[in-house]
Parts: sequence; structure tokens; C-alpha cells
Amino acid sequence: MRSARATLAAALFTLWCAPAAAQAPGDRPVHRVEVSVGALWVAGGELGAGTAVLRANQVPQAPFTLFSVDTRVTSSPGFDGRIGFWLTRSLVVEGGFVYAQPAIRTRVSGDVEGAEAIDLEENLDQYFIDASASLLLDRLALWAFVPFVQAGGGYLRQLHEGRTLVESGQVYHVGGGVRRWLRVRDRGFIHALGVRVDGRAYVLRNGFSIADGPRSHGAISGALFVTF
Amino acid sequence: MKAPAFRSAHLALALALAIALPDPAMAYLKFTARTLRGDIVTLRWTRTPVQWFVTDRAVDGVSASEFQTAIARAFATWEAVPAATIAFQFAGFTAADPFQDDDRSVLGFVNEPELERVLGATGFVIDVVTGDVVESDIFFNSTFDWSTATPGQAGRFDVESTALHEIGHFIGLGHSALGETELRPTGGRRVTASSAVMFPISFGPANLADRDLQPDDIAGISDIYPAPNFRARTGAARGRVTLNGTPIFGAHVVAFNQQTGELIAGFTINDEGEFEIAGLTPGPHVIRVEPLDDADVESFFDDDVELEFRVTLYERLFVAPRGGVGQRFDVQVRPK
Repeated sequence: MRSARATLAAALFTLWCAPAAAQAPGDRPVHRVEVSVGALWVAGGELGAGTAVLRANQVPQAPFTLFSVDTRVTSSPGFDGRIGFWLTRSLVVEGGFVYAQPAIRTRVSGDVEGAEAIDLEENLDQYFIDASASLLLDRLALWAFVPFVQAGGGYLRQLHEGRTLVESGQVYHVGGGVRRWLRVRDRGFIHALGVRVDGRAYVLRNGFSIADGPRSHGAISGALFVTF
Repeated sequence: MKAPAFRSAHLALALALAIALPDPAMAYLKFTARTLRGDIVTLRWTRTPVQWFVTDRAVDGVSASEFQTAIARAFATWEAVPAATIAFQFAGFTAADPFQDDDRSVLGFVNEPELERVLGATGFVIDVVTGDVVESDIFFNSTFDWSTATPGQAGRFDVESTALHEIGHFIGLGHSALGETELRPTGGRRVTASSAVMFPISFGPANLADRDLQPDDIAGISDIYPAPNFRARTGAARGRVTLNGTPIFGAHVVAFNQQTGELIAGFTINDEGEFEIAGLTPGPHVIRVEPLDDADVESFFDDDVELEFRVTLYERLFVAPRGGVGQRFDVQVRPK
């Protein structure tokens, strides 16, 4: 087992060190499996502001603000893993797994009895499990960088701090990016190696939210892909 | 002009002294009783529907029939809470007054001019072996002017609103401290705002806000008479409040859920400074701890209550689970 791992590492290293080559569509894999592993950054966003209110002692009724709250989800780094299958030389279908750990941050202020304003937080374990399709745009290729567009959707799972509460929903994304092949071989277990940079706009439905309706987050990822 | 109106259950508890102790239990404030065996049990009805009678006495502006109709609406409001399972049944009019130990739960007007700040009160008769409630009476002080008019009536207190509060005691709830008050120059307090029908000080005449239960009231009745799915659908917060490292008694702990806007509260209720708030909608909550200084402390506890600390927000968001109790936490408050 150890020697097999060493062989794989050596092969990857060899491929990595080999001179990069621009790749024509005809060289591309088809009906092959691809694995990409990388890191991503998911942008934060506003979740909603509001007030804790009592009922004022007046007729007609009116609210009485106890304190105000403003909640956002923070930006966070994460893991981005995808398994793809080349249907054609330009079309890949992928299953993706994204993990990030943003924080829910609530600013409490304006307390009627003078409590100091404070930022309260909890950590969220957030998972996206999705399926998507990527289409390569060879006509727009520049300096061996091949752009692509992608779209997909899947399952959203959020685990609140302390692992005491799970919330689920749906996640959709559209985006695009560029691929750069570093090495392609006609033979062997590993067919190709390259890097990709993705930019995605995620839309989350359900899961943890303050306001009704979907919310969007941008994300950018960089990954190494290997085609087998 | 009538004096500010307090709604006190403690008078009635004194009348029914027998056995009901105003000891607080976990969450909100639930009445408890000590049985002959020494067990502390939550005051609750075990046989439903609970039958209730109404006195056949009218007062200025409210006939016996109008009174009964308003009372029935208040009982129906409590009965309609989906997460609770108690039911009530009107059993008829009676010539008997409230607070007669006759195995009948009677609601009616009684003229008590010396209770110049008490709109109404509730008393209990309890089975001293099991702790079950066997009778509970409510009196409405006819020294005040009352109304049952649907839109309310200027200068008169609303029967249905006061009934909703007293019936809360009738089913075993104590007072909530979810409110803000100010001292009157002439003595007593004026409520400026509240978020619980079970707040001990009434809104003013013609104010109908207390015809509707608030989340704290709903959590309270659901905790005492839980529907089968109540505990599975909601979560609880449990923790401790300390001041300079020492646990404190009687701190008011409020949980606010920004997703729902619900405010549900409890108290630290023992020498360990511990509290528990049940019936929370799952999700993150802001936890706010405040001294019990917006009503007479005697409306809540007989023991010494710590009041000399600042309003404090717990430094993390507390996550209520879906079923069960969330992570226990401590809140350290600072002295004034």
C-alpha cells in the first residue's frame, strides 16, 4: 500500500514538473473520470435586521423596542472537492462537495436598559452536495487557459454550533472559470493533470435564514484536477 | 381615577393557603406545590375537561351573561394553543361566590374595595397527596369599572383580558417578568410595555392587547400540558447566572429568537443560579439577563432576589435544538 502511494506521488510529481502544454480539444479526455480538490472562499452576507419588541401600553397598540439586532453570515474559507465525468470533449458532469465554516454574527444594540452593544456569534458547519454541468468554451481560450461555464444544484446542510441542530435546504449555483492543463498523456492510469479556478454565485434556499426568500453568496475556488 | 391595577395570584394563594406554595419551578414561572410526602410537584390539572362555573351576579356595565361569554372566550384562547392539551367546559351559573371550598371552580365578581390595586386573583385547592389541582376560583374586583364590549370601552377594564391572565394562574402559571415599568409619582408602577399576558401589572383601561396570548404564555402552558410533539419540536436552554463568581437567585433570563421574533423567559430559581427555559423554537437565540426590577419582587418570589447587577447579554448566540436541551452555558453579570 505504501509503495502504491509512493508510486502515485511520484507520478503526480513527474507530471507536475513536466512542461505545460496548450491543449487542443482533440487531446482532451472523453468518457474519463476526473477528480479535483481545492480550496474555496465563500463570501458572507446580510441575513437580516430586526428588533426585539414588547407591546407598548397604549391604544391603539404600538411596538416598544427592547433592543435591535442585525445578523450576517461571515466570509469563510473551505474545501472544494469534485468528481467529474467527461461526457464529450467539451462537456463535463460533476458531483461536488463543499465544506465551509462561516459564523453567524449578530450585532445587538440599542438596549432600552443600557446593555452594552455586543457582537454575538455561533459557528456553522456548512455543506453543499451538488451536481452540475460544465461546458468548455474553446473559442474563447487564451494562452492555454480554457474558460468554461457551469450550473448546478443540490443539497444544503447546516450544522449549528455544538452539533445540536441541523438545518437543510437547497443550493443552486451558476458560474464559470478557467482550466489550464499542465500535462496530458495518451497512456497510463493518470491521463491528465491541471488546475482550475472557479467563480460561482450560490443561491441558498431554506437552511438557516432570518428573512424569507433565497439569499446569495459569491465564492471563488482554486483546485488541482486529475483525470484518470 | 382608579389606582394602577395589579393582578396578583398571591393573595389567592394566601386564601387557599392550604398547600399551594408559590415556589418557582423551572422555566417562566410555574406554580408548584409540596405534597405530604415532601415532593415538589408542578401545579396542574390532571382531569380534563376542567369544569368551571360563573356567578350569576351582574355589575354595572356587565351582565352575568356577558361576563360568562367573555370568560368563555378567554378559556377558549388558552384551549386553542396547539402545543398544549388542556380543555375546559362551562358547567353553569351559580349563586356561590369564588373562594368557597365547594369542589367547584367559580369565577365571578366580588367587591373588594380595600384591594385597591388588585383587578383579580386566583386561588387553588390542591390534593395534598398527589399535588393535583381539584378546585381553582377567580374573583374579579367589582370596585373597578368593567367592560365586555368587543372594541373595549374608555375608562373600563376589559373582562376578557383580565380573565386571560387569571386563567393562566388557574392552569398553573405564575407571573412573567417580560415587561418594562416606570414608577408613578403617586406610588406603585405603571407598565410601559410587556410581552406576556402573565405580566403582573395590567395595561390600562380599554387596552385589549392582553386578549391575545404571547409566545411566553404559549410556551408556559405547553410546558405544563405538553402535546405529544411539543418537546420533540422545541428546545430548551439551561444554564447558570453568576455575579462576581457567585450564583444569583431571581435573575430574569430572556431568550430572543430573531427568526420568529419570540421572547420567552425564565428565572434563576435556586441557590446554584440555575435556569431553564423550555418551548424555544429551534435556532439561534440572543440571551439577555436582567434584574427583576420591573415589578414588585413579591409578585414572583418570596426569597431574596439579587437586583444589583447590570443588564447583560450572553457573549455567544445560544442554539436551541429541535428536541432536548442545548449546550449548557454560564452568564457572568457585572455589578451596577
